Amino acid sequence: MSDIILRTNKLTKKYKNDVALENVNITIEKGAIYGFIGQNGAGKSTLLRLVTGLAFPTSGSIELFGNDHPNELTESQKRIGAIIENPALFPDMSAYENLAVHRLQKGIPGKESIQKTLDLVGLANTGKKKTKNFSLGMKQRLGLGIALLSDPEFLILDEPTNGLDPTGIVELRELIKKLNREKGLTVLISSHILSELHQLATSYGIIHKGELLEELTSKQLDEKCRQHLQIKVDQPSKAAIVLEDTLSTTDFEVMPDGTIKLYSYLDDVRAVSSALTMKGLLIEHLSQNGDSLESYFSKLIGGQGHE
Amino acid sequence: MNNLIRVEFFKLQRNKACWILIGTVIGISTLFHYLIITDWWMMRNTPFDSIHLSELNGLFAFTVPIFFNLIVSTLAAFYISTEFSPSGVIKNQIISGNKRTQIYLAKFFVFSLGSIFVTIVIPLVTVAVLVILFGRGDIFDFTNMIYLGRAYGLFTLQFLGYTAIILLLSIITNDSGKTIIFSILFTIVMYVMEKLAKPAFLEVIYENSIFYQFMEVFKYTMTSGEIIKSILIGAVSTIIITLCGIFIFNRKEIK
Repeated sequence: MSDIILRTNKLTKKYKNDVALENVNITIEKGAIYGFIGQNGAGKSTLLRLVTGLAFPTSGSIELFGNDHPNELTESQKRIGAIIENPALFPDMSAYENLAVHRLQKGIPGKESIQKTLDLVGLANTGKKKTKNFSLGMKQRLGLGIALLSDPEFLILDEPTNGLDPTGIVELRELIKKLNREKGLTVLISSHILSELHQLATSYGIIHKGELLEELTSKQLDEKCRQHLQIKVDQPSKAAIVLEDTLSTTDFEVMPDGTIKLYSYLDDVRAVSSALTMKGLLIEHLSQNGDSLESYFSKLIGGQGHE
Repeated sequence: MNNLIRVEFFKLQRNKACWILIGTVIGISTLFHYLIITDWWMMRNTPFDSIHLSELNGLFAFTVPIFFNLIVSTLAAFYISTEFSPSGVIKNQIISGNKRTQIYLAKFFVFSLGSIFVTIVIPLVTVAVLVILFGRGDIFDFTNMIYLGRAYGLFTLQFLGYTAIILLLSIITNDSGKTIIFSILFTIVMYVMEKLAKPAFLEVIYENSIFYQFMEVFKYTMTSGEIIKSILIGAVSTIIITLCGIFIFNRKEIK
């Protein structure tokens, strides 16, 4: 049994004069919370629309729960819950009625699932209030409720924090973590609020101008973003010995270009520089480095910043 | 498929526009029939008039495409097109994992039933009630009931072809306003085609279309051949237009 929930192979989507996605290969493993990062217009929603069957790829393939045949894909979509772009609601219906429509079209037995979902997303007390009178945050929560109603194995959320107040954002984060932990729910969540994703995601895909720039786990990302002293000396191997013997630390890496990344002594740069110079090493560069997810992302896409 | 049909009925029952249409048609139809039955309004040269069923003259208006299109296109606009924009709820339906063909057929089925109810059943029921209330119920004798049954049976079949066209239009336009405008334009074009002299090949096409049949089915006498032809035109048109709709819907990208 495959542990891959979603895999795309050279997925490409072209419009008349525009390439929205080009040869995108992403892999999402079971139980992952996959943070999909990209600027507005980078292609995040396009990919999500392809995966959910709202649009069709120009070339490439999508494998969902191990199925890649078009008919099987439609069947696999029954195991998905999704909000794409903004929650789609019937404005003249109440929250209960909106969920009732979705329950019927998904063929979910028992009406009790509706009340359970309303409780879960905190809309149990909205009664007969029509959704056109809901705040954006309430609409977002109802959208999430619709996505969760069928107890999906794979949840796709496109910018789910749009319109949520800070408390709502924290609640959403905790809810996703809880569902992931307790039910093994796999989540694909796209956002440009990177600090939010950083607290949630277990793996990341970074997309820019329709191309997937990098896919990495949160551990790999933390490693890349970890604060360190970047040291460039004339004799890297001798410097490594000095760090071990004089400063009694092995918490460093010698990079292929000879640069040393030292993860300790961040508060005592002087001790490092004096230890190296006392052993006759010439320090060419010494600086404190390390990225936040935001700056890492900015660097990756070429310093254009993000929204 | 059953679930999808139940969903469509659920949505139709809660559709404000549908209830407004039902109320409006009941009102207009009652008033219209009342004025005609009491001879306050004289309508002449209708198919009913020529067979001494002048009490039913008011039904004629509901059999003319340029009039009933207003009902059907309004329902399509506020029941079908709004799902694409602005609410976008069609997205949830596609993501739900149901086949697009089944989604389309469920919509066609319920939309057609709704349209038939508002455009055909309500005027028929109101006229029947008024005719009976005014003590003229004797016109519903066996012969006339057979005629009305045959005429409205065939009319409903042609009407299905028309609802298939309007559904297709609403799926293409994605917008309530455009659905109404384009359907009115379309009906005007068909009306003009009916009235104006046209080349022979267009004449043949028109005479074998549901638009010609809308009038033909109300002839008092129809031969078996004419009935079969009418059935074939209605059924084939409905099937072909529905297949076109399914083809387009299956390739449609949902925004």
